[in-house]
Amino acid sequence: MVRRVLALTSGRIAVTILALIALLALLGPWLAPQNPLATSDNALAATSGAHWLGTDYLGRDVLSRLLDGSRISVLGSLEVALVALVVGAIPGILSVYLGRAFEWFTLRIADTLVALPFLLFAIAVIALLGNGITQAMLVTGVLVSPLFYRVSRAATLAVARSPYVEAAIVSGASIGWIVRRHVWTKVLPPIAVALAQTIGVGFVIVSSLTFLGIGVQPPEPTWGGLLASDLGYLSHRPWAPVAPALLIMVTVWACNLLADAIRDVSGEAGRALANDHKARANRREAAAGPHPAGGSR
Amino acid sequence: MTTTAPEAKDAVREDATGSVLEVAGLDVHYGRGRKRRRALHGVTLDIAPGEAVGVIGETGSGKSTLARTVLGLVPASAGSIRIAGEDVSGYGPRQWRDLRRRGVIQYVFQDPLRSLDPDLTIEESLTEPLLIQGVRRQEAALRARSFLDRVHLTTDLLDRLPGELSGGQRQRVSVARALVTEPRLVILDEPVSALDSANRVQVLEILKELRTSGVALVFISHDLGSVAGTADRITVLYQGELVETGTARAVVNQPQHPYTRLLLGSAPTLRGKPADRAEREALRALLSA
Amino acid sequence: MSPLTHDTLTSRPAGTAETTFDAPGTADAPDASAAGPVLALHDVRITDRVTEREIVHGVTFELTPGKAVGIVGESGSGKTLTCRAALGILPPHFEITAGRIDLAGTDIATLTPRQWTDLRGATISAVFQDPASYLNPAIKVGAQIAEVIRVKQGLKRRAARRRAVELLGAVRLRDPELVYGQYPYELSGGMLQRVLIAAAIAVEPRALIADEATTALDVTVQAEILDLLAELRERTGLALVVVSHDLAVVAHLCDEVLVMRQGEVVEQGETRAVLHDPRHDYTRLLIAEHDSYGLDTFLAPKEAS
Repeated sequence: MVRRVLALTSGRIAVTILALIALLALLGPWLAPQNPLATSDNALAATSGAHWLGTDYLGRDVLSRLLDGSRISVLGSLEVALVALVVGAIPGILSVYLGRAFEWFTLRIADTLVALPFLLFAIAVIALLGNGITQAMLVTGVLVSPLFYRVSRAATLAVARSPYVEAAIVSGASIGWIVRRHVWTKVLPPIAVALAQTIGVGFVIVSSLTFLGIGVQPPEPTWGGLLASDLGYLSHRPWAPVAPALLIMVTVWACNLLADAIRDVSGEAGRALANDHKARANRREAAAGPHPAGGSR
Repeated sequence: MTTTAPEAKDAVREDATGSVLEVAGLDVHYGRGRKRRRALHGVTLDIAPGEAVGVIGETGSGKSTLARTVLGLVPASAGSIRIAGEDVSGYGPRQWRDLRRRGVIQYVFQDPLRSLDPDLTIEESLTEPLLIQGVRRQEAALRARSFLDRVHLTTDLLDRLPGELSGGQRQRVSVARALVTEPRLVILDEPVSALDSANRVQVLEILKELRTSGVALVFISHDLGSVAGTADRITVLYQGELVETGTARAVVNQPQHPYTRLLLGSAPTLRGKPADRAEREALRALLSA
Repeated sequence: MSPLTHDTLTSRPAGTAETTFDAPGTADAPDASAAGPVLALHDVRITDRVTEREIVHGVTFELTPGKAVGIVGESGSGKTLTCRAALGILPPHFEITAGRIDLAGTDIATLTPRQWTDLRGATISAVFQDPASYLNPAIKVGAQIAEVIRVKQGLKRRAARRRAVELLGAVRLRDPELVYGQYPYELSGGMLQRVLIAAAIAVEPRALIADEATTALDVTVQAEILDLLAELRERTGLALVVVSHDLAVVAHLCDEVLVMRQGEVVEQGETRAVLHDPRHDYTRLLIAEHDSYGLDTFLAPKEAS
């Protein structure tokens, strides 16, 4: 799977970008040239040798804040995706096996979560549990989880009726055995696609939440927070939102690209795609190189 | 054989002279309320150890339902089923699982393309029933190898995936998989109908060889020809009821029921005159009346 | 060989005689083309452009009106590709790389997509193994046949409907009016295959390709469909290409048989001759296999009397 994704140009681009961003998240706080929280008199400065991306309204170095904020932004969206995966995928798989009551119950919960107005719910929960990045991400993860629930349930249903699962049942296999041995490998590719997508969505959500002041609290920097504060000073420094906005955009785009690549290489579609490339290449070759024994008729 | 359930094994041995499978007055219904449909009615079947019985039936005759009911995958609405002397009629999921784990009864599916997990190697598929029983991995692998030989496959296939095998090879793997627990009864649901003639002959040869090994076979098929050469007895299932039972030769040569006669008249033969169209028409009219 | 008489295709009730639809073109022309073969393949070779391998190594046969040619071979022997080439529906990446196919006297290599559309259904038609996948599950089967008739023959709705019901009767469906209003899921496999045959002969083609058309069916249903094809051939002079992996099915229906193996025609000739005096080992093997597991072996000889 990994090798096939890397064989696609789009897959390679996506993985490279995501690796760079992961590196940024890992090393960002150390790379920051200045203290991201240190204010100075030099507010709203333009780009200069000392401040590559200028300073914000409190005179803080924007580059340092971007780098320092990358960790929490990336971790936040990862957290969203993983929470959604655990909360969604496991009940999704089990809903096929644990009987009708469980199935009905989880299906209704999934429906309810989809129906809830997202931001209002997030604000309500934060009002209840207190404001913090972990709470915010947990709530977001739970709200996104129906996607995983549905994806994994659909994939499991497709496997559950297959003869090899019945053969295992006839040999006396337990549900745990069947899920571990047969179901898991079939559910993984669609879940991987959903995961890549959710990380992308997670970025937007974390950013928009911090933009609204939910989750991460100032002065702690995040990409979304930077975007928010920069927007307030648009008239003074119209170019300021570009850097954080670009970072968010590129990351989301890379995640979607990866999701597409995974979808393209898994299953029938993947094989058809590979064949198509090959046939086209062969035809081009045949057209380019004049055949010495061309007169086959 | 099974280390997990020695007492059960003894019980089986005591009963070695009795029937492997005893089905009496079996009724099966699908659906509920107004949509309730009868799939089987009053089916009675008795299979002795080592016997090969062919169940002939076409689409909708209930033949797969019969197999699935005997295996506990479909509940019966009336009648009794005894497997190796054990009355399984009222069994719950747990009792069924314990019974299946002993590996007394196994099943071979029709579709060799889908009856093996495409993501597992042949070795993993073959050892699965043993691993479920709790046999250690190395021991299971060793036994799987010996059964591969029984179906005329070489051990170099062991680490291949099902997708890399031909349909006939896959079906032979399925047969080997059903045999690894040394069952007393194997139910084969259309084991050769998805195969082309060369592979069909090969699989049928293997099944014939199996008959000398003492395992009882229930051979479900719509094709009289492939069953007639492999089974001792044939029973014909039509619209959920057994309409005719007898030795293979008797059923083929002196068919009693009009449906059996139509079946025989419909099978395309090589040198026989193109069987009489009018006679088939008459039988069809008789059956639909 | 019976002449091409479209009128006999369906036994039309006398009262509806004014709705005859014998398309003017086909009524005038038959003598010119009926004399020659409907379909002629000459040394047809097909190549897979993905692997650059030749898959079919030269198939030659002629199909005159009322004749039935059978192609036998295991899966992957190229029999289906050959048929698809004759219908102009080769899968992507496959190409005819040598030889020629003449359809009613025209080399198909010269046909434009538009001409193809006119020929398919009207001159050559086909039924395949899995009938359900060739019908739209959301549309009543009768309407799907009527649509073919309306598009191909320009009949009005009402006339097309009447014709479709006639066709459903012609393929021996018990209650054509009822079947007309049913959806594909309400019909059994054998009934669906009849519906597809009805659609295939709707525009009165001169040749019908039956590619494993009875493979997925039960034995008794298979016999019904084969009987139906034999009957259509006798009544209307429909020429048949019967493709099957089962030698007996082909022997049952065809005058001439081609035995294919790995893209090669290993034996070709009159059915009776091939069965009684097979020349190639593979043909012998096919016959031997059938002898060991066909019903013939178990039938007592008294059947012959």
